[in-house]
Amino acid sequence: MTEPLVLQPKLDLPAAAPLAEELKARLEGDVVLDARDVTQIGALCLQVMLAAATSLKAAGHSLSLTNVNDRVVEQLAQMGFSPETVAEGRV
Amino acid sequence: MSDQNDPMAEIRASFFIECEELLEALQDGLQELDDGSEDPETINVVFRAVHSIKGGAGAFGLEALVRFAHRYETVMDEVRNGNMHPDSEAMKLFFLAADHLSDLVRACRDETPLPEATSEELLERLDALLGEHGVEEEEEADDFQPLGMGISLDLPDLDAEPESSLAHYTIRFKPDQELFATGNEPQQLLRNLCGLGEAKISCVTTELPNLESLAPETPYVEWLIELDTEAAEPEIRDIFEFVDGLCTLEITCVSGPSAEDAGDTGPDLPDAPSLEATATPDVSTTPAAAEDTRTKPEDAPDKVVTLKKDDPAKEPADPEAKKAAPPAAKSVVRVDLERIERLVNLVGELVINQAMLSQSLDEAGLSPHSDAMNGLEEFQRLTRDIQDSVMMIRAQPVKSLFQRMSRIVRESSAAVEKEVRLVTEGEATEVDKTVIERLSDPLTHMIRNAVDHGLEPTEARQTAGKSKAGTVTLTAAHRSGRVIIEVSDDGAGINRERVLEKAVSKGLVAPDANLSDGEIDNLLFLPGFSTAAQVSSLSGRGVGMDVVKTSIQSLGGRISITSEKGKGTTFSISLPLTLAVLDGMVVNVAGETLVLPLNVVVETLSLGPDDVQMLRPGSYVVRVRGGFVPLYDLGVMLGYRAHRKTDAGAIVLLISLEDGSRAALVIDGIQDQRQVVIKGLDDSFYRAPGIAAATILGDGQIALILDPADIIAGSGHPRGADLMLSERKIANE
Repeated sequence: MTEPLVLQPKLDLPAAAPLAEELKARLEGDVVLDARDVTQIGALCLQVMLAAATSLKAAGHSLSLTNVNDRVVEQLAQMGFSPETVAEGRV
Repeated sequence: MSDQNDPMAEIRASFFIECEELLEALQDGLQELDDGSEDPETINVVFRAVHSIKGGAGAFGLEALVRFAHRYETVMDEVRNGNMHPDSEAMKLFFLAADHLSDLVRACRDETPLPEATSEELLERLDALLGEHGVEEEEEADDFQPLGMGISLDLPDLDAEPESSLAHYTIRFKPDQELFATGNEPQQLLRNLCGLGEAKISCVTTELPNLESLAPETPYVEWLIELDTEAAEPEIRDIFEFVDGLCTLEITCVSGPSAEDAGDTGPDLPDAPSLEATATPDVSTTPAAAEDTRTKPEDAPDKVVTLKKDDPAKEPADPEAKKAAPPAAKSVVRVDLERIERLVNLVGELVINQAMLSQSLDEAGLSPHSDAMNGLEEFQRLTRDIQDSVMMIRAQPVKSLFQRMSRIVRESSAAVEKEVRLVTEGEATEVDKTVIERLSDPLTHMIRNAVDHGLEPTEARQTAGKSKAGTVTLTAAHRSGRVIIEVSDDGAGINRERVLEKAVSKGLVAPDANLSDGEIDNLLFLPGFSTAAQVSSLSGRGVGMDVVKTSIQSLGGRISITSEKGKGTTFSISLPLTLAVLDGMVVNVAGETLVLPLNVVVETLSLGPDDVQMLRPGSYVVRVRGGFVPLYDLGVMLGYRAHRKTDAGAIVLLISLEDGSRAALVIDGIQDQRQVVIKGLDDSFYRAPGIAAATILGDGQIALILDPADIIAGSGHPRGADLMLSERKIANE
């Protein structure tokens, strides 16, 4: 298993493109996102994660989130997601 | 009410304001019923108005009001249920009851003694009406338990079972790319939405590509939110206020208090299946949503079902919801009048200031094409717009005033035992609030006069071949920058011989005076004039039309009469639209700066040597386009100077007055055409004839604003019919 990718604290518009780049570089294997520092998760970064999850799944790999704090759980819920559904990606 | 900090007093005050609106609706509804409206909604409106007043009154413990409203409402309920078909007598009683209800409301508001005796009498009559229709319903009077809430008087449907105030909304929200670029974040908007109530949020991700083809800064997802909330749609929209235009937002009220938009559900339907098919099926919230609906099926019966394709239950739900929806209320905000006054004053200052700025830029000799001058022009336009908007805040439709008059007609016709119909036109005409308030007394008087003096007794009408019921018409209209309000009757017209006789006997005119019809009519405005042979309870006390005239004049208005024997009489009041600003023509007369209202000036011309002709010594006319118009020298008339030897070369303003007559005013020069702020002359000034008010000009100088009609009326020169004759005479020569 590869090293977890530690997410930036603020996952807003400026964070979306770098996150997409980093994830693209990791599509060859299972990806673990470490959310321990995250204070804010925005819709664009969420999209990136969902798209990554789909791509990974298609390639037979998986994406998972660890160290998800309550705040992030809450923010995800407000957008209609949970850490688990993010890991599933889109159907 | 006096205590500003008492929240209950505030609520109470707003209840009474609400009552005024309800009473207005009540009057409207009754009038419609009286006019033969068959619309069931009309009686519903009437019923609701009474019911809402009762509800609010109960909350404030206004027992007398509750009691009266309740019994009144009982009768209305019978009408609503189709058990009673009110005849004209019943309608009269309903109007009386409505009048009384408004008396009660006002008495409660002002904490003055309640007219109990009238209440009893009317209640007895209402009960008798109920009895006639074989309705036995009285116990309920004691059953009524006032609700402990005061403000929300606009009950949507009083028939409906008390239901939850929760509304169920479906919201579709799709952010655009710009939404993110402006620092907004859907998550925060969704969080705020959750704060309004219970929200089930689902994200639609069908458009989302895989990571390789994803543009990270482009939004692909959208959200569907099922929201159960007490908030109204505007509150929901408020959340998205700052992203207006940066997202796609569709809000649909599926059920609940404001379901009127239910018809809009359409656009959401195509999206709904995609949610089912695509949004992560095991999203924890989705099953929960379904669960939730099952537990309270009455509240939102089709809530989740609506998201399923091909569901027939959805379709009939819409028209139902639409049908039950109450008519959308106008969105209004109540503002302390004082604040508006302050704003109006400030705008007045702004106009003066702008005039000063304009003058100093002018004096600085700037080119009219310079940036500063262009800027000034824009500034002037803005000032004008601001001013118009501010004036619009103060403008109110004359409807409330007219409604009060319909009561006056009912009462006064009953007092003199005449059958009178009031016809109103132009109720939506807007007039400055201050004007409306100050028109009430004069209009009341004129209406009473029309009913008492104007209309003949019933027998006389029938002998004259007229309908039994007399008609009093009250109209309002905007005409050339002024408001014209007319009170006319279809009575016998002014009995000029009687008027003249009376005036002579009172020593108001010389016995040998030869007066034109118009002049005789105008005698009615003389102080101490009253023609009614019998002093009735309504009028004939000899104080009257002169008071009316004075109050109209104090509003900057004018009143005139036209009357045709056997056909009727019309009193016409002409008022300025606003009491605050005026488009004026600034002129010079004998070294004085004066302002004339621009709307009366139709033409300016400079006199040639042959243009002026003498009618008789001291009386001149000027030839204008083949016609002759009486000439007045403003300088002479205002006492600034003696007659000039020749008027040749002088400048003349051709003015047109409301009665259609024209006059030419000689002035020395025209300075400018501009807006001036009307500054009323204090009461401590002598009210000089012809002077309407004063203003402050751009250079700080004070200028008088003239009332040309008043100047000419005071000149004693021939006008109207007399002048036409003289015009013709000269033309023939």
